[in-house]
Amino acid sequence: MRKNVGLKVFTGLVFAFLLVPLLIIIVTSFGTNSTIQFPIKGFTLDWYGKVFSNEAFMDSFFLSLKVAFIATLLALIIGVPAAYSLARHKVFGRNWIKSFFLSPTIVPGLVVGYAMYQFIVIKFQFPIIQGLLLGHFLICLPYVIRVVGSTIEQLDFSIEEVSWTLGCTKLQTFIKVVLPNITSGIFASFMLAFINSFNNIPVSQFLSGPGVTMLPTSLMNYIEYNYDPSVSALSVVLMLGTIVLMFIIEKTLGLASIS
Amino acid sequence: MSYVELKDIRVSYDNKADILKDLNLSIEKGELVSLLGPSGCGKTTTLRVIAGLIEPNDGEFVVDNKNLTKVPVHKREFGMVFQSYALFPHLTIKENVAFGLKLRKEKKQTIEKKVNDILAITGLEELSNRYPKQLSGGQRQRVALARALVIEPKLLLLDEPLSNLDAKLRLQMRIEIKRIQSQLGITSVFVTHDQEECFSISDKVAVMNKGVIEQFDTPEEIYKNPKTEFVARFIGFENFFKLAPTEDWKYKAVDGTVFESTRQWGPAKRTGTIRPDDIEISEGTEPNANNAVSGKVKVRTFLGKSYQYEVETPIGTLLANKADDVIYQVGDIVTLSIPAHKLIIV
Amino acid sequence: MTQRRIPYIILAPGLILLILFLVLPLISAIYPTFFDGGFTLANYTSFFLDDYNFGIFWRTIKISLIATLICVVLGVPTAFYISKSPKKWRGLLMSITLFPLLTNSVVRSFAWITILGQDGIVNNALKSMGLISKPLTLLYTEFAIVIGSVYLFLPLMVITLVGILENIDSEIMEAAETLGANRLVAFMKVILPLSVPGIIVGSILVFTGSLTAYTTPQLLGGNRNIMLATFLYQNATALGNWQGASVIALIMIAATLIVMKLFNWVAGRMDKRGEASA
Repeated sequence: MRKNVGLKVFTGLVFAFLLVPLLIIIVTSFGTNSTIQFPIKGFTLDWYGKVFSNEAFMDSFFLSLKVAFIATLLALIIGVPAAYSLARHKVFGRNWIKSFFLSPTIVPGLVVGYAMYQFIVIKFQFPIIQGLLLGHFLICLPYVIRVVGSTIEQLDFSIEEVSWTLGCTKLQTFIKVVLPNITSGIFASFMLAFINSFNNIPVSQFLSGPGVTMLPTSLMNYIEYNYDPSVSALSVVLMLGTIVLMFIIEKTLGLASIS
Repeated sequence: MSYVELKDIRVSYDNKADILKDLNLSIEKGELVSLLGPSGCGKTTTLRVIAGLIEPNDGEFVVDNKNLTKVPVHKREFGMVFQSYALFPHLTIKENVAFGLKLRKEKKQTIEKKVNDILAITGLEELSNRYPKQLSGGQRQRVALARALVIEPKLLLLDEPLSNLDAKLRLQMRIEIKRIQSQLGITSVFVTHDQEECFSISDKVAVMNKGVIEQFDTPEEIYKNPKTEFVARFIGFENFFKLAPTEDWKYKAVDGTVFESTRQWGPAKRTGTIRPDDIEISEGTEPNANNAVSGKVKVRTFLGKSYQYEVETPIGTLLANKADDVIYQVGDIVTLSIPAHKLIIV
Repeated sequence: MTQRRIPYIILAPGLILLILFLVLPLISAIYPTFFDGGFTLANYTSFFLDDYNFGIFWRTIKISLIATLICVVLGVPTAFYISKSPKKWRGLLMSITLFPLLTNSVVRSFAWITILGQDGIVNNALKSMGLISKPLTLLYTEFAIVIGSVYLFLPLMVITLVGILENIDSEIMEAAETLGANRLVAFMKVILPLSVPGIIVGSILVFTGSLTAYTTPQLLGGNRNIMLATFLYQNATALGNWQGASVIALIMIAATLIVMKLFNWVAGRMDKRGEASA
């Protein structure tokens, strides 16, 4: 068959560029030396133990999980009906409203965090944790609007009309007919929003305080003063998390649905 | 030696089952040859081997005494019309047609003249500055043809070019393709699964099945004398029944009925076949007659100019067409006569 | 309640939250930068007239531009290869591309610290080969930020392009070849022009992403190679200069919007395929 060696080699190098750095992290997490070295000397799992016994890491990990989960849930509760309305109803200024809902992606994350910090934490004295939740809600919302919106647009409108003719109210139709048919979109947007919220740094950068530090921020702060393999170990743990999520997505939706 | 020769071409992907099995095909200069067969028979693969889009695992491909087997597609100088037309969406009609000439670095005036000439032949002058998206299916088809012809190809390859058109346009385009092809005298290979289309346009037809050519003949010959059961089935012989040869060049069916044929068939041929149109149908039974079986009408279907009767006979269910001058009912007993000169044995 | 009001009632909670917690905070931060007794642009003119500030702005633009270019150059052939590979392989290649994208950006930047650092892999390798005696300064340079940004955003470019390239009829490339174009020419004359929309979308993502990135410049750039996001953070926290931070915030938003409009405008000019009448 016909092959193109040049293109193959080029692509191979690009994939090496994408993967090798992550592989190096994995290897360095097993080194015995107290600073990161490559290639490593010896083999140990101690650094993983250090990660799990590090209170700052564990606290921020659970905080990150909680914030990402609640923010995504809130974005779904508010975003799914809004996406439906934008797709199906005659709304004045529909495109403007849609762009407005997507606007948190245009405003740089650090600016979102900065503005919220100044406004609601400093000016209105909200607790930081509430600011953090709202900030993450803002970055989750566009994913819900976009992914669920396009799922609804692809859904055949006539199945809703059929349901009305059979005696369902609009609300019943939404719950019994529309929702079951857009579960894949809802799940995909949940995954995307959750992953992005969990990984986000810029928004959380300003919105952190004593006892309120998200995991990526906590990791970043740690890196600024330490250079030991526990950073690698934590990175590996996070990568494993990514793999698990990718596996779940692949098994349920297929990865193509989120790319 | 013929103008185009495919010799023992074998193609298989990933060393799985062969898609083409030692395929041989000769095409004379100026001929239009069709590759006919159901989907998956290897006809498109054969065309792509000729085009150079697939490199065969074994075999040789020769045009005009030059071995082109290893010559890459862009150096073969064949024109190809794709099923999807494959027009370049970012170029105007004129730019699409000029694409091949520009690559040949021909002079500007030459390109201009050639492009205008071919646009005139294909009736596209008015559309030359439009983009493919602004054209109808038939117009796109013409552009694809013009683009393939303008490079004055040694061979014109057409991959189911009419399959995306509606019935009326199809008929029109097929006449047009034939006209342009014979006007330019260009050797062509045409891939299709449509028997009627294929017969009307081709000088010769290769009927393909499972990677081999079952029969390569003129359309008339294939229509009248299919050589294998597959070919017969594919071109509308709907009645098949087992026959055993007897010593005096006759045949016996499973129920003992004797069948005669006006021709002699090879010893391996054991299946009688005939088109529903060629069976004669009459009322009642005719016991012990040669070339005739009786049976009960099971189903009657109105076909327009005739009726089709599905008749259950001792040698199997047979289909026979008869004009509407005499109409039989379901349940009637009829005799089906199979004329000796129409009986084909495959 | 009339039927016509229902959509607005459904949309209201989202709109209100966005106004309360995004629009108002932004206005409240940015409004004072224009009013000092009366309307003034002084905060912005002085920002751009200050060599140090302008240097940071320029560095940010420059690094984003270079990173975008590299992503295009690396991304287009890679995406083309992925889109042409058989289905079972494509899934695997897409997962490999997605994996870094879904991995935390701190982790991804950190990987480059271990590679580029004084005692990093590159320096150690070069030293052991005897090519250098003193470690090269690779980390905490603009070069490091460029690599980190490319690393961060290349998957985004590739995935965007694969989406576009998969939709290009595979027979189009073959048609170009039968007309006498070799693979490279066919790619340059047919595939590349057709992938322009994908390149534009990808470039917007990479450019605005690098322009506003915080993590990578912070970890790989060090204190001497500050970019806008880091500068904003410094102003707001270490320097306590809220006014300055707000000025930078608006500049970042404006730059993002201008880049998007500009790229889309370029795309519109290049894309003259008569889509309107299709």
